Amino acid sequence: MTSSKLIMAENVIEVQNISKLYKLGKIGSGSLRRDINTWWKKSIIKKNDPYFLSEYEPDPSSLDLWALKDVSFEVKEGDALGIIGSNGSGKSTLLKIISRIVQPTTGLVRGRGKVSSILEVGTGFHGELTGRENIFISGYTLGMNKQEILQKFDEIVDFSGIEKFLDTPIKRYSSGMYVRLAFAVIAHLEPDILIVDEVLAVGDADFQKKCLGKMRDVSQKEGRTVLFVSHFTQAINNLCTKALWLKQGQLQEMGECAAVVNKYLASVQKFSLKQDWDTINEAPGNDFIRFKKIELVPHLPTPEHPLDIRVPLTIKFKFWNFTDDISLAIGLHLFTFWGECIFDNQSVSATYNKGLIEGECTIPANFLNDGSYFVSIIINRDTSIQLYYFEECIAFELEDYRGEIKWYGKWMGAVRPRFPFKIEQTSYSIA
Amino acid sequence: MLSSEKKTTWVIGAKSSYFDLNLKELLSYYHLLFRLVKKEFLINYQQTLLGPLWVLFQPVLTTVTYVFVFNKVIGVSIGGNLPPVLFYFSGIVLWNFFNESFSATAKTFRENIHIFSKVYFPRLIVPLAAIITQFLRFLIQVALLILLLSYFAIFGGFKIHLGWHLLAVPFVVLIVGLLSLSIGLFFSIVTAKYRDLSNFVDIFLRVLMFVTPVIYPLSTVKESIRWIVQLNPLAPLFELFRLGMLGEGTVSLFQIAYSVVFMCCSLTFTVLLFNKQGGKLIDVI
Repeated sequence: MTSSKLIMAENVIEVQNISKLYKLGKIGSGSLRRDINTWWKKSIIKKNDPYFLSEYEPDPSSLDLWALKDVSFEVKEGDALGIIGSNGSGKSTLLKIISRIVQPTTGLVRGRGKVSSILEVGTGFHGELTGRENIFISGYTLGMNKQEILQKFDEIVDFSGIEKFLDTPIKRYSSGMYVRLAFAVIAHLEPDILIVDEVLAVGDADFQKKCLGKMRDVSQKEGRTVLFVSHFTQAINNLCTKALWLKQGQLQEMGECAAVVNKYLASVQKFSLKQDWDTINEAPGNDFIRFKKIELVPHLPTPEHPLDIRVPLTIKFKFWNFTDDISLAIGLHLFTFWGECIFDNQSVSATYNKGLIEGECTIPANFLNDGSYFVSIIINRDTSIQLYYFEECIAFELEDYRGEIKWYGKWMGAVRPRFPFKIEQTSYSIA
Repeated sequence: MLSSEKKTTWVIGAKSSYFDLNLKELLSYYHLLFRLVKKEFLINYQQTLLGPLWVLFQPVLTTVTYVFVFNKVIGVSIGGNLPPVLFYFSGIVLWNFFNESFSATAKTFRENIHIFSKVYFPRLIVPLAAIITQFLRFLIQVALLILLLSYFAIFGGFKIHLGWHLLAVPFVVLIVGLLSLSIGLFFSIVTAKYRDLSNFVDIFLRVLMFVTPVIYPLSTVKESIRWIVQLNPLAPLFELFRLGMLGEGTVSLFQIAYSVVFMCCSLTFTVLLFNKQGGKLIDVI
């Protein structure tokens, strides 16, 4: 760590023209008879593949899917690289290739140093085994050696806070204890390159904070290289120095984190002002609640008016409620681009029946500062039991408007309210 | 403080070569190997009434059944003048070792996909751990076989043969273990790709048992059809095992050589196939 930090940072990962092809349907044939038939016709009697349909009648189930196409980039030692992109853009495939779990179809990855990839919490855990036994087996599975585990064993136990249950099979643990123990093992890995998939964001808020804190330590204090995939652009902004934006398997942009994230957000902006779902099955939610629609409606005085801080914003939502006679309260959380919560606006609880429920809430004009914001909606039962938390369902950006004020510095603060002042001159003498 | 000079470099490419076996890497995971073996033992006997005694129960019960059915009811000849209990028990113990190692190895991909899809380590560790687990169980069963031998020697007038044949026993165990590894690995790859073939594994094992001298000695097989049994590379190994342990068995040096050559060829073939296919299978399962 010491010597090479003094010299300019070196490449620790070089990704060269990586492509990954998934043959949908073709591999899935999964029967030997079909494959032998194909092989016989193709290789022995030189006829066309009997299962290959001509281009005039394409079979949608056997289309090729390029999960990644010709992706090249380099990661320098000590970089914290965030990988962003919408669902299915190839983020996880890329991590799996660098972690040696799947093979690329073409291309090459060169790397230097020990890699630990965390694509899941509790890899290698087995319910029947005790906490102690699981620390070892999970540690070894993730690539620690005996010395490392023995050295860190007490720390891991301390960190997880499960001393008393160390010799209890983990199937008797609460889910919180399980996650704490699993994370304690992960937190004590000491790889040169740490690869983390967004699964880490699955835990509760406290757990996420712990994960992010640990990852920040790893990359900033210890100078290790981190590759991090997340949907949470806020987390990426917080943690990473560089970002890589994948779009449909191709490298769209790579560079300084905030710039790439901004461009990415701008590209998805038009979608994220409004989201709706036609069928219940596709809608986000769970057995209690599913969202039908969520929309941010700016009250623009004219259609050409910019979306700036003078515009009142109404957040409209519509959801299916699946329970009769249930007491619901809706909360609106507004976050800055950097992930700080600006407000948590809770509705009063009221009783509702099965069916569609619509609502709206307006953020007044001249309240927010310019910048990017995220809205999350939480639906609680009986004011405190969380039924569903729809995170970052809306993202928007407000332009600046200064009017007659001739000053162009960055306006401080997350909000820019215009609370009235009362100012008067109370004396005319300076004595 | 680690010095960065010691960092290993690695390359991930699109093609995996047949000759990719990285023994050094494999060895560096030996801790994981032994933990997995320990895990198997712990999992199997946690929350059970009889615990590790099951290792002995299963072959004992099978032996009792075989002695009763084949010896008393049907009257299958076991040739020679061995006590039937020793004859069947020795066959069952070795067959179990092969059978269990084979079945466990053949499930490598299907049963570990949840780990394989989340973390990298040399995949060979898993089948190796399975074989070692079965080997340890086999050792416990052999201990019981030795106890039985002593019992029959003291009370049944059975004469223990101590000779060079005894040296053949560890050799037989090694070859049987490697054979089960190689055939099991082959099936683990094939059944991961073609799921319907996993039904075939059970049938294959059942048929294989009948062409292996487990419940009969080779000497009682008719000359005209003996070649069928002799084609089976396991046959001379079972005969040699009985020859070593009990002092009776029909085997020639040529047949042993055949088994060894067969094992070497199939092991080379499947390890090469495993190297070539192992990385790609994750997309298919």
